[in-house]
Amino acid sequence: MALLADFGTTWTKLIDTETGKTSIERSSVIDIHADLATGNNARTRSQASVNELIALYEGGLTSIKEKDFIIVDIGSRDLKYIKVVGERVEQMDWSTSCGTLTGFTLELLAGYFNIDYNTLEPSNRVDPITCGLLGIERLFERLANGTSIGEAVAAFTRSIALNAYHFIGRPEKFYLSGGMCENRLFISSFSDNVEVIPLGRFVLLDGVIKEYERRLKKK
Amino acid sequence: MGKKKLKVGFVGCPPEDILAPYREHRLIDLDNHYPAVRRESQQKLPATTCAIVKRIYDNALAFKPDILIFDQGYGKCDPARMVSLLLKEELGMPVIGTDNTSMAGKGTPVSDSSLPLRKKVEIILDDLVKPRRRTVHPEKAPKAGIWGVPASDFSLYDLFPDGTKIYGWLRCLENRTPADLDLECMVDPEIPVVFFSQAFCHKNILAKHLAKKYNGLYFDLEENISGTIRAKVEAFLRFRGVV
Repeated sequence: MALLADFGTTWTKLIDTETGKTSIERSSVIDIHADLATGNNARTRSQASVNELIALYEGGLTSIKEKDFIIVDIGSRDLKYIKVVGERVEQMDWSTSCGTLTGFTLELLAGYFNIDYNTLEPSNRVDPITCGLLGIERLFERLANGTSIGEAVAAFTRSIALNAYHFIGRPEKFYLSGGMCENRLFISSFSDNVEVIPLGRFVLLDGVIKEYERRLKKK
Repeated sequence: MGKKKLKVGFVGCPPEDILAPYREHRLIDLDNHYPAVRRESQQKLPATTCAIVKRIYDNALAFKPDILIFDQGYGKCDPARMVSLLLKEELGMPVIGTDNTSMAGKGTPVSDSSLPLRKKVEIILDDLVKPRRRTVHPEKAPKAGIWGVPASDFSLYDLFPDGTKIYGWLRCLENRTPADLDLECMVDPEIPVVFFSQAFCHKNILAKHLAKKYNGLYFDLEENISGTIRAKVEAFLRFRGVV
């Protein structure tokens, strides 16, 4: 029996290998120690840790049947992607700059404006932003100039989507992992000719499971 | 009675014929990190100034050299050149400006050696202050490479296997040809290379371009390496079969 985890910045995804039960808890309130984990807090909260990019790769191989694919994980404060060709990693990257350019900011805005992203329509604006802080500044400028909250937030969301799209090399199709899978506005902010396939929030945890099984076999 | 030793600060890689007369004095490399030095530069320099240029300013204030030898041409950078002006005007430091455009390379045995990467960088930097004759063994099959200027956080180098090949400006520095752009861009295409640049440095243009060209890993770094950067480098080295 083992407790495996993906300790995200905001949300922790857990699995008990004995019961198979999974859960999602707020990282700030949870007080557990895992046997094997990935994520921002894995080193301090588990016996052993798995590199997040490796967890993403292994989790991607579990969920995706194609030999060639791009998988992107967008979490609270960062963006990771892997391009796999013939089941081998051809390219990878992990944005380390400006944590406000990701899920944390969208969650913050949802709370601040009391909005549900799944009820908003995507914006038509194409407005690249170099930094999440500058993007928020522009959002409030728009509000001050009379733009509705829904349109301003939708425009900001589209900017984040555009940045992510450029960061991963502008593919025609990619798989999405992480909390953004539940944000209909974010997914529909990509152009119509881009196919986005959400995989849910447990991809990295699937990668941890695979790594756990591999380590068990080695023993 | 012995002659008083001058404190001679230098920046970049000034030509040897300029540095040579001062080798019997106390030479201080102002590009280097000295933990005890106080940081004054945040009040004087824009926040978007590269950490190494900020460091030059702070080191100059802390050490108060009698003379400053400042390489100011293509072998260093314009922001550093601006700071030399500040130091001359504000602090009254005598500045000897140089422009090292030498293409007479001395070779890169340390960059190509089998030594641990951290040791290689330390030797290259130490040799600027006190050149020594050394015997090093070439690494016949380097598993990885690193491109860039000296990192502000040397723990970056501990992520790489022994014999990691050095590319970029650090290679030019060992070669004593800091303005040699061709050498700076030289990379062995079959070796997985990490391209690193200081945040806010113009060399990010090269680092990002070369990383894309050679399918390497690119990142920029301000001062200390974060857990994220560490994980990114570890994953890259693992996916490319280096470790």
